Amino acid sequence: MAAKKKRATNVQNDSWVVVAADSVIDTHSSDSDPAFVRLRNPSTDAASLYMLSAGDKQLFEVKAFEEDFHSWFVGQTVQRDGRLLFVTPMDPLYLILPYLSKAGKEGKFQPVNQIVMDEDFPACSRLLSCTRSLASLLHIAEEKEMGSLKFHRYSHEKTMIWLQKKVERTVVALKKKNISVGEGVKSTTYIRVKSESDHHEEDYLRYAHGLISEYISEDLSKALLSHLQLPELTSPKETEPPSKKRKLSDKPVEAGEDYTKLNSTDFARKPPKKMTAAQKTLSKVDKTGMKTMMSFFSPKVKAEKK
Amino acid sequence: MDLSPFEKDNSVSCRLASQIPDVCKMEDCCLGIDEAGRGPVLGPMVYGICFCPVSKKEELKSSKVADSKTLTEAERENLFQKLDEANSYVGWALQILSPNTISTSMLQRTKYNLNALSHDTAIGLVQYALDSGVQLKEVYVDTVGPAEKYEQKLSHIFPGINVTVRPKADSLFPIVSAASICAKVARDRVVKGWNFAEELGDVETDYGSGYPNDPKTKAWLLKYLDPVFGYPQFVRFSWSTAQTLMDSKAVAVHWDDDEEDGEKTAQRQGNKSMLSYFGASAGGNEQNHQTHRFFTERRLKSLSTL
Repeated sequence: MAAKKKRATNVQNDSWVVVAADSVIDTHSSDSDPAFVRLRNPSTDAASLYMLSAGDKQLFEVKAFEEDFHSWFVGQTVQRDGRLLFVTPMDPLYLILPYLSKAGKEGKFQPVNQIVMDEDFPACSRLLSCTRSLASLLHIAEEKEMGSLKFHRYSHEKTMIWLQKKVERTVVALKKKNISVGEGVKSTTYIRVKSESDHHEEDYLRYAHGLISEYISEDLSKALLSHLQLPELTSPKETEPPSKKRKLSDKPVEAGEDYTKLNSTDFARKPPKKMTAAQKTLSKVDKTGMKTMMSFFSPKVKAEKK
Repeated sequence: MDLSPFEKDNSVSCRLASQIPDVCKMEDCCLGIDEAGRGPVLGPMVYGICFCPVSKKEELKSSKVADSKTLTEAERENLFQKLDEANSYVGWALQILSPNTISTSMLQRTKYNLNALSHDTAIGLVQYALDSGVQLKEVYVDTVGPAEKYEQKLSHIFPGINVTVRPKADSLFPIVSAASICAKVARDRVVKGWNFAEELGDVETDYGSGYPNDPKTKAWLLKYLDPVFGYPQFVRFSWSTAQTLMDSKAVAVHWDDDEEDGEKTAQRQGNKSMLSYFGASAGGNEQNHQTHRFFTERRLKSLSTL
């Protein structure tokens, strides 16, 4: 197609195509509706979109499937972004963890509602309303009770154990879902003769660690790696070959190869070059009805209409 | 001529045929091929074959079949009636290529041009005659593209048959004229009684000749242009007339095999400019966070806003 088409800038949509668990829209036990909220992403430290179910009971993360050249036909309308949103359950502890870890540097026991506060993301205090939050704080913090009040302090050791469990459970899930964790790309339609059992346990561990790292800070990710006793992979930069520059020397320059044999009589001239595979396929193309390149440069003659 | 098989679903290619006269299975036969509706932006292209015993050639001539373009519509209908009545020794078959077939062939990922489509249709019809037991000895064809090449191609596919490809064959050989009458009559009837699969209400049927240069056709195309869907299946989308109108009046649609170029595309495809490799180490500025391949392979992203 010769015509150039301009891509219009994305117009804001007021509707989305979403895949979500039933529990997201279960509102009968509460008067508030489920809502999208912006919270601090523990891995990137920037804003990410999450969803809290009715009454802030449950936390969900929002991921978008996005690929070029997709659109939706929804009922009688067209939606230009072919995005598919997934709203999937998420452990709120991942989002609470950075606040505890930061407060833990002071080494003091504090009430958790004082710790989980963020000027940029005021919604973060709602995380504590999630049913799982307060009970699971034990996994990442030590607890002290003073009368009716509870105080918490971040524990690195506990966190590592908790994260290790997460990795191990992820490994189980990866195996169950038959997800390829080895190096390189595997197509789902490509059938391997070799069984998958040659995947080392380390591949699974590494893959699971990578997945969990999407939900924790970089520092924690590194700490977890050593906790799992996985050596850091050497970066490919170090294995780059040495530069090939030749050293200058005072010695007279000599040819690296003996070219004189080209002059000798027994050097038979090669037969005319064979066509490459690409040239061959090109020559096989059906050229009927196509114009020659030259015809575009000669004065125009109006083709007779049939 | 019973057009109902085509009218049942006018989005596909359809074959209509007469009874095979018994004499055609016993005696050496000649066969003519011609097409109607190659140029129009509207409606189907119809390929027709007509065959009769070589010995009856003269009889055909005396029935005054002539090039269909020199005849009025009424004369053509009349002659077709005569041909159909001569079913003791004349047989015919038609292949109606719906405009939708033409559009989808020419616009598919690996382009299938109109000449190739024409050739294959003609070959298919000759094969049909052979498969039905017609004793073919001579085939006459009006050319598509260079006559000589086409003749070679057909002779190669049908060894033992004397193939003659000539421009203007429809005025030179009565059997080709007969084929052209069958094709033209079928096309006229199909176009006149076109069943629109789309819900368009009362469609204005005064679309002129259907040729791109006909002002009536152009006006009709403008009137029935839908900004999202373009045209009803009656229109050949692959014609530049239709494409130009859609490019200027309809919403831009992007396909992943569109030929695009320029910086924006490169950026969209994640290509780096050559220059970026020479710049001072750009390492620090880039976003350090690399999403795990579990997500990138599945085209999943976190969102910061909806």
